[in-house]
Amino acid sequence: MSDAGLLNLVLFLPAIGAALLVPMRDEGRMRALSLVAMLVQFALAATLYQRFDAADAGLQFETRLPWIADWGVYYHIGLDGMNVLLVLLTAFLGPLVVAGAFTAITKDVKLFYAMVFAIQFTMVGALVAQDLFLFYLFWEAMMIPMFLIIGIWGGERRVYATLKFVLYTAFGSILMLAAVIYLVVALSGATGATSFAFADLYKSTLPLPVQTVLLAAFALSFAIKVPVVPLHTWLPDAHVEAPTAGSVILAGVLLKMGTYGFMKLGFPLFPDATRLVAPIVMALAVLSIVYGACLALVQTDIKKIIAYSSISHLGYVMLGLISLDLIGIQGAIVQMVSHGLTAAGLFLMVGMIYERCHTRDLAAYGGLAKALPVYSVFFMILTLASIGLPTTSGFTGEFLVLLGAFGASWQAAAQGDTLRLALAVAAVGGVVLGALYMLSFAGRFLFGAVKVPHGTQADLGFRESAILVAIVVAIFWLGLFPAEPLRKTELAAKAYQQLVMTARVPDAAKLAREERR
Amino acid sequence: MNVRDLVVAMLPEHLLLAGIVVVIARDLLPGKARDGFVPALAFLLLAAAAAVFLSLIWYQGSPFPGQLSVTPSDLMAKAVILALAVPVLMLTRDDFADGRFPVLLLASLYGIGLILSADSFLTLFVGLELMSLPVYALVVLAFRGPPSAEAALKYLVLGGVASATLLMGAALIFGAGGSLSTAAFVAALGSPDAMAVAGAMLVLAAFFLKAAIVPFHAWAPDAYEGASVPATAFMAVIVKGGVLLAAVRLFAQAPLGGPVADLVAILPLASIVWGNLAAMRQSSFRRMIAYSSIAHAGYLFYALLGEGAGRMQAMLFYVLAYGVMNVLAFAALPRRERDADADRIDSLRGLYSRAPFASLMIAVAMLSLAGIPPLPGFVAKFLIFKNVMAAGYTLYAVLGLVGSYLGIYFYLRVIQLMFMSADVVDDGRGAPRRLMRSASLLSLGAALALMIFPGWFIALF
Repeated sequence: MSDAGLLNLVLFLPAIGAALLVPMRDEGRMRALSLVAMLVQFALAATLYQRFDAADAGLQFETRLPWIADWGVYYHIGLDGMNVLLVLLTAFLGPLVVAGAFTAITKDVKLFYAMVFAIQFTMVGALVAQDLFLFYLFWEAMMIPMFLIIGIWGGERRVYATLKFVLYTAFGSILMLAAVIYLVVALSGATGATSFAFADLYKSTLPLPVQTVLLAAFALSFAIKVPVVPLHTWLPDAHVEAPTAGSVILAGVLLKMGTYGFMKLGFPLFPDATRLVAPIVMALAVLSIVYGACLALVQTDIKKIIAYSSISHLGYVMLGLISLDLIGIQGAIVQMVSHGLTAAGLFLMVGMIYERCHTRDLAAYGGLAKALPVYSVFFMILTLASIGLPTTSGFTGEFLVLLGAFGASWQAAAQGDTLRLALAVAAVGGVVLGALYMLSFAGRFLFGAVKVPHGTQADLGFRESAILVAIVVAIFWLGLFPAEPLRKTELAAKAYQQLVMTARVPDAAKLAREERR
Repeated sequence: MNVRDLVVAMLPEHLLLAGIVVVIARDLLPGKARDGFVPALAFLLLAAAAAVFLSLIWYQGSPFPGQLSVTPSDLMAKAVILALAVPVLMLTRDDFADGRFPVLLLASLYGIGLILSADSFLTLFVGLELMSLPVYALVVLAFRGPPSAEAALKYLVLGGVASATLLMGAALIFGAGGSLSTAAFVAALGSPDAMAVAGAMLVLAAFFLKAAIVPFHAWAPDAYEGASVPATAFMAVIVKGGVLLAAVRLFAQAPLGGPVADLVAILPLASIVWGNLAAMRQSSFRRMIAYSSIAHAGYLFYALLGEGAGRMQAMLFYVLAYGVMNVLAFAALPRRERDADADRIDSLRGLYSRAPFASLMIAVAMLSLAGIPPLPGFVAKFLIFKNVMAAGYTLYAVLGLVGSYLGIYFYLRVIQLMFMSADVVDDGRGAPRRLMRSASLLSLGAALALMIFPGWFIALF
């Protein structure tokens, strides 16, 4: 099969899997089918990653077919350095989510796996889409399976949490839709041809005020998804009420859709506005890092600690993206993947202990290192990766982001703008806070007097260990050998930097000149 | 008058008429009571096929010059309405076994055929009356006690008001311009003559009344609630679609401007907002659908704000997507929920464990009505708002979109009740008949086609 066909297969495999589930009656077979489909998807995605040519800056494995020809909407998908790692991450987490839910989900099994397939399909779709219409379709459709996953298989306050999730994300999306339509209409007014292709939209030359308003609309949608403080309040509720699989998908990939959106669309579509608001975005990113970490520090619910740590970790991604420094941008991409791995692993582990002890109250636990040694080893590794210990992926990501943020802010400070430098320093404070809350969490959780709710519990079984081994291997792979992934993402990061740094309309250049004076 | 044109141009209407005659004749024949369903369905399919065929061969004709003419796009509009009537007719089978419902339905469709080819206010008026009178009867047909009578009466009185408004408007336009042709309406819109403008406004108000646009909407919830499910579906899908398509035809390609554009934007915007807000508070499923249809009428009228050439396309796609989804919801509604006394949203609680197929169908319909991609309701909404924005009404487009956000909650609440609530004990009333299932599968098939090949339909319209 051609490589382009392979990418189509990666995209549609979950849809095929969902269709195959429909006539099935036996729950064991449904689980087996789901696992096999997800493993095949991962194998294919890994093949694509292997064949991905780091020296080619353009789209690879591209498919472009007319879909709504009258409006210039194309079914246009492809891989570039920006999405190749994220597609790999999504496909990697797929089988883990499925396997992790084998014992946890016993109600409406068919619907559950169909929904996992549906969300996998929409997430990969949003990542590989190269047409704004197609992207929006997948972006918005993503919400529905998550709505059902939290709402049907969630905890006690699931309905509240899931409605909050949907009403938040839908509000962002509706304004983004207005901006999408405006952007395309404006472009077709200027060039005479209606096109939704990213490549064409990158060439739009809108005046600065329009750019700013449109960026605000896009950014609202993306920032809710990331989430950036102060738009984060839906996340803890959604995480706490979601079943483990839902939390893993949410933290592992769904949140990255927000940062990916900023990187692929928000910032490069409106570069002049982006440079104008960069200090605000940077401040919000640092606020997310520090505030998220502070909130994580005071939680007593173990799921909430990890939920707030996600807010903090994605703040680094935002910081790296807005630094507009090549190293920072690459760090942001690595940090996305790294957070996807560690947060997914931690949520899976919380799910495993919850299945045994039925409580998420941190005070109820203690000394698990003695009671559940295997569990504790994995938990400690993930904790250290989350803090960013060297040799783990967390280190690669956070270090590169901070390096980039400092690199950019030194230059700014040399020109008298010290705000950025102050923010970069504050972000380093976030790293310390991160170590503090994760280590104190692990300390109370794993060490001290042995407290295991509901008596002694069995340690991890083969299935659970296999899932965690996969994650740990991936974490060390990215921590020890970051050169290859960095090489494959470098050209895309450069292209992003180029797009955002180049002035599109003259009045922005004028503004920059005035600033220099 | 040209006989050939008379035969060909009105072929769909002729087939409907033949269907009416056949069904009535079979009823009159001695012997056991006959079912009018099969011949009605056959003639309906023939009529729809004829309309599609004539549209595709690009037929254009004027059997009664100055009164009635058809263009390919009119024929496509008729084809969409007739095709949507097919699953609606299938819905009637459970409630009405004799020929009354099919005859009334075909007669009303004949009226819609007339308003979709009217060139003068006379034809338009005759068509509107012919469309409405059978619907009054349809509402009382499944007499379920006082609510049905009240609903029918309200609908009748409001329908009378709409007719009177239309006639008054036509009279004023005639007084100002001396012409009863629909082209005079377009001229009156931009006329400096106060009488002409007043006439045009009254005509517009009549359409607002028929389509249940705020503040002329109060009849809809009562009428929808009091009628039987097939009659409600007919009102919500066919009548509304027919009226809206006729409105597009009436405006022809004329650009809107000034106060007319504001009127065409503000009242529909109010409908979108109010319809969605009020729908949140309803406890009856049919009342909720009624308010939802008030909001959707708002989106549909928005299509008029767009550039002349794209209006019909946007409207046709929307009517088709919206109609298919409403029919799907009504067809999937389990028997118990179809009774007026059990028509409460709460009774959908836990439906998924009782009737997974039905609840999935209703969920698809709700998501599409909420305009969530990739379902066809999204593409339909996108098309309308894209045209509105392209015409320069950015503010109205943004407000309309924000208004549509208000609707998401109550559609999702239906899904939430069906999937996320503890089961309510099944009272054991029978599952829907096979025909009902075919109707929902038919609608689902249409919805999937609209979802996967939207470009094909848009190119067709």
